[in-house]
Amino acid sequence: MSTQVTAAAMDSEPIYQKLNKIFREVFDDDGLTLKSSTNAADIPDWDSVNHIRLIVSIESAFKVRFAVNEIEELKDVGDLVKLLQIKT
Amino acid sequence: MNSAAAQPRSLASFTEGETVRLAFTVSDGDMEAFAALSGDRNPLHCDEAFARSKGFPGRVVYGALLVAKISQVIGMELPGRDAVWTGLDIQFVAPLSIGEPAELEATVTRVSPAVRALELTLRIRAGEKVIARGKASAVVHRDA
Repeated sequence: MSTQVTAAAMDSEPIYQKLNKIFREVFDDDGLTLKSSTNAADIPDWDSVNHIRLIVSIESAFKVRFAVNEIEELKDVGDLVKLLQIKT
Repeated sequence: MNSAAAQPRSLASFTEGETVRLAFTVSDGDMEAFAALSGDRNPLHCDEAFARSKGFPGRVVYGALLVAKISQVIGMELPGRDAVWTGLDIQFVAPLSIGEPAELEATVTRVSPAVRALELTLRIRAGEKVIARGKASAVVHRDA
């Protein structure tokens, strides 16, 4: 069980790094550091327009396409990372 | 390009690779109207002799006037009536002269249904010469 958790964590690290770069660019904040619990309430500039820019940037960077319900079900960055692990 | 009223389209009707072209020629009247609108009376755009002294063949068309043509395509056709323009990244790589025929080409390069967004690649050419290139993004409001 612990081996599985470690493997999952290793897989998620490059995703967090890539996401962190995208978030910093979209929200123009070089000091932004993502945690699994980060959500829209933690980032003041996370408005509807930046949300669109964020999703399009993530789709482009990870070469994936999200469905409407996949995006609507995300509660935080941790959920987003899990979704990207499934889709990439 | 259709010059009638802005056309409504559903998000599903857009496909990656779809292209719209707009041929245009900027006139003296367009330049004067834009100078009045913007307040930009830089002699590069308004004074023939000054522009030539800087190495240009004549007065240079305002870059923002080219952006106005992009606005026409986005607002009227691609995506059209239900669009909200959300971003533009553009480089002006060569001057366009007054009276010089040009063409704007806008191509859909990404459709993101999850956030109802389109990305467009833009090219403005005068003959073989590339005048400007860039990318734009827009959101398509929910279908009525």
